Formats: sequence, C-alpha cells, structure tokens
Amino acid sequence: MEITVIKPGILSTVQDLGRHFYRHQAIPAAGAMDPLSMRIANLSLGNSPTEAVIEITYADVSIFAETDLLIAYSGESCLLYAGKQALPANRPLFIPAGQYLDFSHLESGSRTYLAILGGWDVRPVLGSKSTYLEAQFGGLSGRCLKKGDKLRSSENLTQSNKRILASLKGLYINFPSWSVHKERFTALAKKTIRVVPGKEFTWFRADSLLSFLSSSYTLSRDCNRMGYRFNGQGLSRSVQTELLSTAVAPGTIQVTNDGSLMLLMADSQTTGGYPRIAQVAQIDIPLCAQLKPGDVIHFSAISRIEAEKLYLNQEKELKRLAVAINILCSTTSIPGKGSQ
Amino acid sequence: MIPFGTSTQPFSSSFSIHFLSENAITIEFGQKIDEATFDKVHQFNKLLNARPFEGLLCTVPAYVSLTVFYDATIVINAKNGLIGISGFERVSGYLVQLHTQMTAIEKNTRKTIRLPVCYEGKLAPDLNYVASYHNISPAEVIRLHSSVPYKVYMIGFVPGFAYLGGMNSLLETPRKAVPRKKVPAGSVGIAGAQTGIYPFPIPGGWQIIGCSPLRLFDIERPSPALLSAGDEIMFEVIDLEEFEAIKNSNSWKSLS
Repeated sequence: MEITVIKPGILSTVQDLGRHFYRHQAIPAAGAMDPLSMRIANLSLGNSPTEAVIEITYADVSIFAETDLLIAYSGESCLLYAGKQALPANRPLFIPAGQYLDFSHLESGSRTYLAILGGWDVRPVLGSKSTYLEAQFGGLSGRCLKKGDKLRSSENLTQSNKRILASLKGLYINFPSWSVHKERFTALAKKTIRVVPGKEFTWFRADSLLSFLSSSYTLSRDCNRMGYRFNGQGLSRSVQTELLSTAVAPGTIQVTNDGSLMLLMADSQTTGGYPRIAQVAQIDIPLCAQLKPGDVIHFSAISRIEAEKLYLNQEKELKRLAVAINILCSTTSIPGKGSQ
Repeated sequence: MIPFGTSTQPFSSSFSIHFLSENAITIEFGQKIDEATFDKVHQFNKLLNARPFEGLLCTVPAYVSLTVFYDATIVINAKNGLIGISGFERVSGYLVQLHTQMTAIEKNTRKTIRLPVCYEGKLAPDLNYVASYHNISPAEVIRLHSSVPYKVYMIGFVPGFAYLGGMNSLLETPRKAVPRKKVPAGSVGIAGAQTGIYPFPIPGGWQIIGCSPLRLFDIERPSPALLSAGDEIMFEVIDLEEFEAIKNSNSWKSLS
C-alpha cells in the first residue's frame, strides 16, 4: 500500500513507541506524544501496537491513495474526509486506490495518528522508527513529511491484518460497524493532570506547593515535542541547593529559575538540572499530548502506588482490546457498512 | 517531610532510592561530585548491567546518581528474583539486594581513551581570547588543557555530549556573550569550569579552543556515542595535517 503526501501539515512525523535503549547516550525516547491514540489506531487494524504511524500536529494534511489502503486514525485534532464524506475514527477504513483524503481540523486537541495495515515502512534507527527532529534521524530521514513524499506500508501482515483486509476489501470505501471506544481508556476530567510528587517536591515553599496543586495553569505558546511551558502562579523554593544534573523522563515537571513550570515531553533531553516538582502519571501523558496553547489545566496529586496501578491496569486493558479485536477478526465475516 | 510517604526509600547511608516514573527509578549515591561517588555510580552500573533483571531497558549514570529505566509491565509479571506487589518495590528490592554484593567487586580499572585535538587556526577561534583572559600564552592554554585526565560524568544535553570533569581551574572562562549559530562537530570548548566536545553541529556559547577529528556521535554505529559515562579521557595534541588525515580515514589508534 502506498500514499503520496499532497499537503504535509505543519508538523507530521513518523513515530512508533520510541527508542528505549539509548538514553545513556542522551538519545531521547521520541515516539508518539499520545501513545494511547497511537496504539488504538494500530490495534484497530490488527497491527502490533508498536508499528510506526504518522503523527499529525493539528490538521491540514491531505494524502492520495496510490493503491488500495486499509488505514485507521485516532486522536483529538482532526476528522478524516473522503471528499464530503466524514470517515469514523478508531476503526479500520478501506480506501480504494485513487481516493484523496483530507484531515480537517477539530477543536478538541492537537494530535492525530494515522496507522496503516502492517505499519509504515521506514528504516529503523537504533531499534525504532521514530523521528527525532533535533538530531535528524529516524522516520523519514529524520525530518517531517513534505509535499510529494511517498510512504509505503510494510508487507509483513499478521493473520488479523489479512482477515480485516479480506472482510473490507472492495471497490468502494468500506468500514465495519464496530469501533474502539477510546473514551473507556481516558479520564473524564481531561483538564486535570494527575501527578506524583517528584524528588525535589519538598524543596518548594508550602504556599508554592499549595498553588501548584490548587491553582490553574495555562499552556503557553512555548510548547513542542520537547516540552511545554505553563503560565500561572510562580513557585518559589525554600531549599536553594543547586541540583546536580540527573536523568529526567517524559512527564517530568521541572521548575525553572524564574519559578515557572516546564513539562518534559517525548523529545526532551535525557538529563536535567532543574528541581523536579512532580512527575505526570503515565496514563495522563496522552491528555498532555492533546493540550493546545491557551488550555487551562489543574494538577492533582496521587501516590506513586496509585499511578503505577492505573498504568498497569490500562496496559492490561489495551492487551485485552488487542485480543478482542483478534477474536472479532477470526469470526468468518465482519459485517461491512460501506457507502456505495 | 516526605509527602505521601512513598516516593523516597532511603535504606542505607550511602544509597537512596527514588521514584522517577512508573518505569524508572533513581539511585542516589551521594550529594556532591567526588571520586568516591563517581566510582560507586559506575561500579553499580557495571554490576547491574552484568546482572540485569527481567524488564530492564537502560541505565543512565549522572554525577551522583544512576537511573534505571524498565518496563513495568514485564517487571510486574517477572518470575525470577523480583519480589513485591508493585514494579517500584520489585525493582528497588532487586537493587538493594544487588548492592549488598557490590563490596565484593574489585575497583574499576578504567582505561584512558586518548582523544586527538587540534588546537590550531580556524579550529580554535577562541584560543587567543581564553589565553588573554587568563593572561597566559595560547601554548600554555593548550598545555594545561591537554596534560590532565578528564572523567566523563554524564552523557546529556544532546546525543553523545560528554560532561567532563577535571579541567584545571586556571582555564575557567565564562561563556561567550552571544552564542554562535552553529558550532562545528568535534569542537572542544570551555564554559565556566566545564570542558566538553560538541558531537554534531549545534548552536552554542562555549569558548572553542580546538577541534577533534573523531566522530563523537555517529548514528550509523551500533553504539552511536563515542564516549560513555565512566570513561576517562586525555586530549592529545595533533597538528592540522594529522587532523585532516584522521578525519579522512576516520581511524585513530585509540579506537582499535
């Protein structure tokens, strides 16, 4: 399967779940900012959750189907159209060759993932297909998609891949009646970010900690795949010790010397020297990935035990979802609900 | 005061364990930069990598700490040697147990890596500034910079960038007031009390006193970063001719 990029959008990159074995060489994990949407797009096709997808920032992306396609998309920033027909998210979509597809803007979030049957076929670098823009490697030669790029899917298909394809393939756009209920995996309060107190939590004055956990913070324009800066109540320290640089991770909230919050995201540096007030609970990273400048959030504290429990539960549910989709696909026919 | 009572578990005077994320734990061996702490970090790092637990992804040494990244979904189901109800408990338990075996290990015998550096002409745009700042000759700057061993404390900032410790305090020089838009790969610089080498071309404000022809970071290598935390290095003075020869052949005695 192959597409041509007609409109690349402002920042579209190939991403998988990231590079996890080279952090000691200061190589960031990179990978999908919203790993939940990314995995749901993959699982909807019977792909392994780790297959490479295209991460679209906001919208305004158009592609052309050079061949028949089986794709799925998931995210909060766009709706997919074939001409005037809106196509549903979170389920496999059969698109016949020669079709133009447009991702048009939705207000709710900032990132959307486009998965293809078998995954996008780019050369893995250090065990991952993720694009790392700063050092220009991974994905499509370490850069974002541009007009005229051709991307192909891998031809290694799983049994589920083949069954889903067989059930939907035809002359017209087609998709099944089921979809993944993504809401099941996300918190209801999308603007409350759960955090675990960080190692330097107690370096801050009590009134600053109170502000951190009770007042609102607004995402500034200074936000990208490396990190986010927030506007809001400034925080001051009671311990002035200079922190010796140490490892940080996506989700780490540092407080810079002017007292403002900096949340590290997928492409962040691997080490940092600012005090870490908190760590965003892993399961709320997708909520952070979908924030837009101007969005107002609150932080609420949970224990590391609770954060880990929530994380492991979600991982279990995602595994169950993969199994359920496989079972669904192994039943002889999936009723199509096409649009002839 | 430890809020929520669970993020920090000190269990030995020389060693404390901290939550970083659901998939990472930091072990802290001390509070300040010194040789003893450096040795502890790297001995433990070596031991852990020689005896990894199921689910270990990667370890990141820093000045006084070692951070252990793992896959909690593997750790929580691992059968061998990991005990506890949470991933944090299982991994920290393993690390504590492993730490008891650390005394048995002989002291790290580090080999010194010799890094060729050319301190001449266009490769050393700030050499004269650094010399005049300290009121010494450029030759003296080169001598002071290339006559002592340096320790690689940490790889951070950008892929393959080594934070070096051990520079002669006579060479401490403030950063440039206006950073350069692009510093060439291999450039050796001074910023305050630190010295380091730019692994690839990036903007930077360090005072550049030389350049190494070696590729400090090469994504095509199985291990892209030339240096690792825990290494000890010495700069070896080379001339322009040698610089070109090493750069073109990309070979150097210390790499074989």
